[in-house]
Amino acid sequence: MSGWQDFLAARDIWREPLIASIVAGALCGFLGIYVVLRRTVFVSAALTQLSTLGIIVALILEETMGVEAEHAGVQLAVALAFSVAGALALGMALHGRRLPGEASVGMCYVLAGALVVLGANRLVHAAHDLNAMVFGNAVAVPVSDLVVLALVAVVCAAVHAFFAKELVFVSFDGETAAALGFDTRLWNGLLFLTLGLAIPVSARALGALPVFAFLTIPAAAALLLVGHLRRAFVVAAVIGVVAAAGGYLTSWFWQLPTGATMVSIAGLFVIPGLFLRKG
Amino acid sequence: MSPSAPSTLVAVEDAAIGYGSPFLRGISLNVATGDFLAIVGPNGGGKTTLLRALLGVQPVLSGRRVQNAPLRIGYVPQRDHVDAFWPLTVAEVAIMGRYRLIARGRRPKGVDRAAVTTALDRVGIADLAPRSFRTLSGGQRQRTLIARALASEPELLALDEPTSGMDPPAELDAMDVLRELHRAGGLAVVMVSHRLEAVANYASRLAFVDKDRQLFHVGSLESMVTPDALGELYGRRVNVREENGRRFVYPEPGGTA
Repeated sequence: MSGWQDFLAARDIWREPLIASIVAGALCGFLGIYVVLRRTVFVSAALTQLSTLGIIVALILEETMGVEAEHAGVQLAVALAFSVAGALALGMALHGRRLPGEASVGMCYVLAGALVVLGANRLVHAAHDLNAMVFGNAVAVPVSDLVVLALVAVVCAAVHAFFAKELVFVSFDGETAAALGFDTRLWNGLLFLTLGLAIPVSARALGALPVFAFLTIPAAAALLLVGHLRRAFVVAAVIGVVAAAGGYLTSWFWQLPTGATMVSIAGLFVIPGLFLRKG
Repeated sequence: MSPSAPSTLVAVEDAAIGYGSPFLRGISLNVATGDFLAIVGPNGGGKTTLLRALLGVQPVLSGRRVQNAPLRIGYVPQRDHVDAFWPLTVAEVAIMGRYRLIARGRRPKGVDRAAVTTALDRVGIADLAPRSFRTLSGGQRQRTLIARALASEPELLALDEPTSGMDPPAELDAMDVLRELHRAGGLAVVMVSHRLEAVANYASRLAFVDKDRQLFHVGSLESMVTPDALGELYGRRVNVREENGRRFVYPEPGGTA
């Protein structure tokens, strides 16, 4: 078991990244239930692109204008700003009457993606970091990032624990909720705000692509496995944790790309549900 | 009846309704305690918009909406608008009707669960409480949504196309449930339907809405369900026949008014 001994001896290297992966996996898995059931999977894709764009904008400002943005906290703040603004805007666009909601989300996704490519093309010094940002690396997570992630997770957990009935009602049947006097814009805004907060801080730990995957796959697997909403939230969070931790450990021992390994393990949880028939 | 009469629950006065720009103006309509009002018209004619304006979900573009006191509303949306994919039980869907009565951050209590049981019992599906909503038939889902509306102990029950997509027996069944609830006392019912025949034997008043023809009429069922009134509404000759106490409405083939 020298592999395990080496692994345990290197705990200073993997401790923060592993904890961050677990927290991000649980957070994204939980929120993914809303993402999947509200049929807004591509909103999370667009938001991950926007948060990546935020990081690139911060890096470009640093390289071209000498604005001090090299500090990870500054990059994260800009990514958060992009993501939260995008989440609130997309939350409103989904209920727009002039364009179908998917069109707004699609435009946001491809435009943000194009700007990421254009921005990356302008970067000179930080270009090598982009692969980790987009596809996930989870090798180096500073303690400050872990603290921010934990804070966001606590805030999201508190919001969803405290306002569960309002968020579920407005998501399940917004029309009736509005008729009964619920401010659906407020509650939808709050839900998308938690997504807008969770995505960039999780993307710092897992990478943008894994975050998109973790907002979709654990929830889909949970909804296939269990036929009850409350249990689905719990199962999705657990699958997120197992896939994140399992993916991290697997990638460590087999020298595999971390983000892709996490996503692949999450995908395995979909298989049993496909063969399960439930009411 | 004047919109400001004491028994009026809610009214719109000289209202213009629409999205951004008005598509119907000069609408005055009130709902009083114990009323059974059906809003009828063609698909896309503005019925749901009028209902939403009446309920205050959508602001009127001009004129005003009057509601003299806080009003407990039970709302039944179009069945297709409720996403049956959510893994919720019948009881969990029905208890959402209580959420307006429960403070933010608080969970439903025994009194709320008791109200849900009573509501499910009133629409005859108490035994379905633990069943998954998505496994129900269309008629059972509709009853669940009506039970949810009743769970809020409403003074006004508003329904948007409650029998849409139902086969005739299920439609009669659902309408009979509504009639029983209405007759049980005090409850005002406002329902939207594109099928006049579905409401012609149940409502006490009709409001006819067609934005394309800039038409808005409201009156008692007796004054509205006549060949002359319906001929003007539909732009063609319409027959009204009564058989065994039920009204049947059918247009004459090729007949213009």
